[in-house]
Amino acid sequence: MILLVILIPVLAGAAVFLVPFKRRSYMEIFLEAAVIINSILVWYLLMHRSESIFTLANFTGNLSISFKVDGLGMIFAGLVSALWPFATLYAFEYMAREEHERMFFMFYTMTYGVALGISLAANLLTMYFFYELLTLVTVPLVMHTLTREAILASRKYLYYSLGGAAFAFIGLIFVIIYGAATEFVLGGTLDLSKVGERGNVLLLVYVIAFMGFGVKAAVCPFNSWLPQAGVAPTPVTALLHAVAVVKSGAFAIIRLTYYSFGTEFLRGTWAQYVVMVIVMFTIVYGCSRAVKETHLKRRLAYSTVSNLSYILFGVAIMTPGGMVGALCHLVFHAVMKISAFFCAGAIMHQADRHYVHELDGLGWRMPAVFGVFTVSALALMGFPGLAGFVSKWYLASAAVESGNSLAYGGIACLLASALLTAIYMLTVVVRGFFPAGEAGSKELGQVRDPNWKMLLPLFVFTGFIVLFGLYSGPVVKFFADVAAGIY
Amino acid sequence: MYYMLYAICFPVLTGLFLLVFRGLKNRKSLLLFTAAALAGASALVVLALCLGQGGMLTLFNLTERLPVMFKVDGVSVVFSVMTVIVFLCAGFFSFSYMEHEQNEKRYYGYYLIVFGVLIALCFAGNLITFYMFFEALTLASLPLVLHKGGREAVMAGLKYLFYSLSGAYSALFGLYFIERYGNTLTFSPGGVISAEMAAKYNGLLLGIAFAMLIGFGVKAGMFPMHAWLPTAHPVAPAPASAVLSAVIVKAGVLAVVRVVYYIFGVSFLGGSWVQYAWMSLTLATVFMGSMLAYREPVLKKRLAYSTVSQLSYILFGLSVMDKEAVTGSLLHVLCHSFIKAALFLCAGGIIFRTGKTRVEELRGIGKEMPATIWCYTIASLGLIGIPPMGGFVSKWYLAVGALGAGISWFSWIGPVVLLVSALLTAGYLLPVVVLGFFPGEDACPGGWEKKEPSLLMRIPIFVLTLLSVVAGLFPGPVVDYLSRIIEKII
Repeated sequence: MILLVILIPVLAGAAVFLVPFKRRSYMEIFLEAAVIINSILVWYLLMHRSESIFTLANFTGNLSISFKVDGLGMIFAGLVSALWPFATLYAFEYMAREEHERMFFMFYTMTYGVALGISLAANLLTMYFFYELLTLVTVPLVMHTLTREAILASRKYLYYSLGGAAFAFIGLIFVIIYGAATEFVLGGTLDLSKVGERGNVLLLVYVIAFMGFGVKAAVCPFNSWLPQAGVAPTPVTALLHAVAVVKSGAFAIIRLTYYSFGTEFLRGTWAQYVVMVIVMFTIVYGCSRAVKETHLKRRLAYSTVSNLSYILFGVAIMTPGGMVGALCHLVFHAVMKISAFFCAGAIMHQADRHYVHELDGLGWRMPAVFGVFTVSALALMGFPGLAGFVSKWYLASAAVESGNSLAYGGIACLLASALLTAIYMLTVVVRGFFPAGEAGSKELGQVRDPNWKMLLPLFVFTGFIVLFGLYSGPVVKFFADVAAGIY
Repeated sequence: MYYMLYAICFPVLTGLFLLVFRGLKNRKSLLLFTAAALAGASALVVLALCLGQGGMLTLFNLTERLPVMFKVDGVSVVFSVMTVIVFLCAGFFSFSYMEHEQNEKRYYGYYLIVFGVLIALCFAGNLITFYMFFEALTLASLPLVLHKGGREAVMAGLKYLFYSLSGAYSALFGLYFIERYGNTLTFSPGGVISAEMAAKYNGLLLGIAFAMLIGFGVKAGMFPMHAWLPTAHPVAPAPASAVLSAVIVKAGVLAVVRVVYYIFGVSFLGGSWVQYAWMSLTLATVFMGSMLAYREPVLKKRLAYSTVSQLSYILFGLSVMDKEAVTGSLLHVLCHSFIKAALFLCAGGIIFRTGKTRVEELRGIGKEMPATIWCYTIASLGLIGIPPMGGFVSKWYLAVGALGAGISWFSWIGPVVLLVSALLTAGYLLPVVVLGFFPGEDACPGGWEKKEPSLLMRIPIFVLTLLSVVAGLFPGPVVDYLSRIIEKII
């Protein structure tokens, strides 16, 4: 069953490329059906999960490729499978004007399976395998337009990701050597008797592995691939570079911190302070760059850099509360950012506007898109009653609870970043609805809201932003259970 | 119990209806609709005040420990009555004034939403509900500032937005800690911080109290975060400036009242460095605001600087944490809002009829529009604090309170600053009167043309001016009511 949900998207992707569909709409129907069926299967799997580990292949000793459905994996798999059908629907409309469509959809759909593989992996080795695979299947998506810019961006993406994975590999080896168990266990698998005097070495390895996985999560010195990769078509930027790829980096770090090294071992050490400082810096840095950036999609990409570090800040608090905050933001940010990206994509698609200063007065032409964008902007800056407030609340109260004075500084970073978020998001909204000059509105011509294929995902995401903002109880309860090890 | 909810939802929903609904093209029906909505909302507020008192309404939980709840107490009554009066007056004024502006429907839509949000702020029963509507207030009132469009308005609007948000976030920083250390965010007279917690986390809690005062103080135009106010208020249409300057900034005052007296409590903050630092800031703002107003040539900007200064009178009284002083503060909340609204509406009337904005252009304005300028004069006297106007009584209480409170040398510095500022107030308000009524022999040889604004504009000004005088002549019942509120919190 687990293997099935990973294989269906991969095979469906291959089929799109190999089978010559007579009409575009057949391919659309086939692909959408495959994705929806797979999502249903994933949710069925999550609801009726078995505790047992499914081992596919066993290498020497304790190295194996094996899968398991545990709490954390459920969250990521559930998130990915909930978003994918909507993103695919949006991609049909968006890609209608682009070339090499089938190649695009092949890799796009394959990524779905690989992301599920990461989330359902039962040990570091399996996760590492899919993690590398993820890089390989997404590189062609970045390269898609085949312009010089796109090729440079994809090359950079490839080098960064592979380099990061190499660092993460060091962590992998140490965890396997010093570990007591092979699969992930909440609280860590390190065998402290084996560690003995080598504590500091392991802490160093943790920091190295954190930074290694942090490349995908765009932690500060390694973030520059993400805004550049924004040359990819918007469905890719929205789903992969706001959710699947970058969040798998954050996901891997959660696995590394809470399930491999263990917070008991890390909390209060210099390693915690080092990663926390890096993360806090990234939070503010990402936002500041977003404020300076005038290209709308790149601006959102920088915003992702900052928001990913919100998640990592929760991880770096290294308490169950911090993990709840991190998981909340992992899920909520996905919905908010994908919504914002889809709006940016809709604007590019309908009006062919890419820069913020070109948006004057566009709000009245595309009220639905700009309305949705406004909601996601407010949610990202943490307006109470919308999703972003809730996750920020849990992050900050976990920081207060931890009693760690560096974490108090982290709260200040979160709030400074909220202000910067307001600056870079709301200037767009204000421009859209209240243009500073008279000029913009005349040349807009026939720009209108896009059709239902683009609008439906937007409205669904907006609905979830509001729903999570007003009524997050059950979701957060589940996260808390996961963080407490119940699932 | 649900009356509170009706009073909040009705104006918000009617406002949204105006924004979304494409009909009501006819100006007359638009005005009728807005007038009915305003009147209905005001009636609902009054009903909620009469019936809802003492009750508590918990709507739902934002997160497990964050309920959204509403409650009507004495402070809510004071602030919501003020809101209703000013909104009604400025609303009717705008029916005539907004004839000259575009996008009238959008304006009324946001006007009604802001009204609902302000009522929600008055009724908020805990800090998180308050915070939620505090942010909503910034966003809902932003379109009023942006209304005229164009570069100046957009820049002013963004300045307003970012100042307000940075204040709100600074306050939010405190919320996280209070929720943890106070164990609740519900407003309770006397504060929620237990003595044990206060002793254990003294330094930290004082720090966040200061952060919250500065943060909420942004809305009330307190130094060092006052710069947005004189930029943002004058660019709005005159009736919008009136509600911005008279009511919306009072949301900052309300926030400070709630934080100081209902969250931290006088016993915790009284005598601490936070109290003295805050007091110094308010006094600095009082003086600086008056000084800047004195030097400002544009009338509406001058009035905005005056708001900066007058709001810090109120904050000063609150920072003294003495019964008399707080009475003076709350009384000044009422007086200042009536007076400042009247003054802005007068300025609006002048702009509407003559298009003049600078003080030196107003030569002979008293001959052209005598009724308006008489109201302006009376309101000005109130703001300066000349008996028997409303402003005199409130300032009297402020000064007496400061003198009687045990706040070392601040108890005489305070009243001195207030007096100096009163002189400056006379200096910046009265030139309009002097120039207006005594233009000099050679100013207009052809005789003065009557340019009095329409009745719809004059009546709100009369009502507000009258209220400011009545508050001075018969302050008894109000003072009694206020002292009953204050008994509970000090």
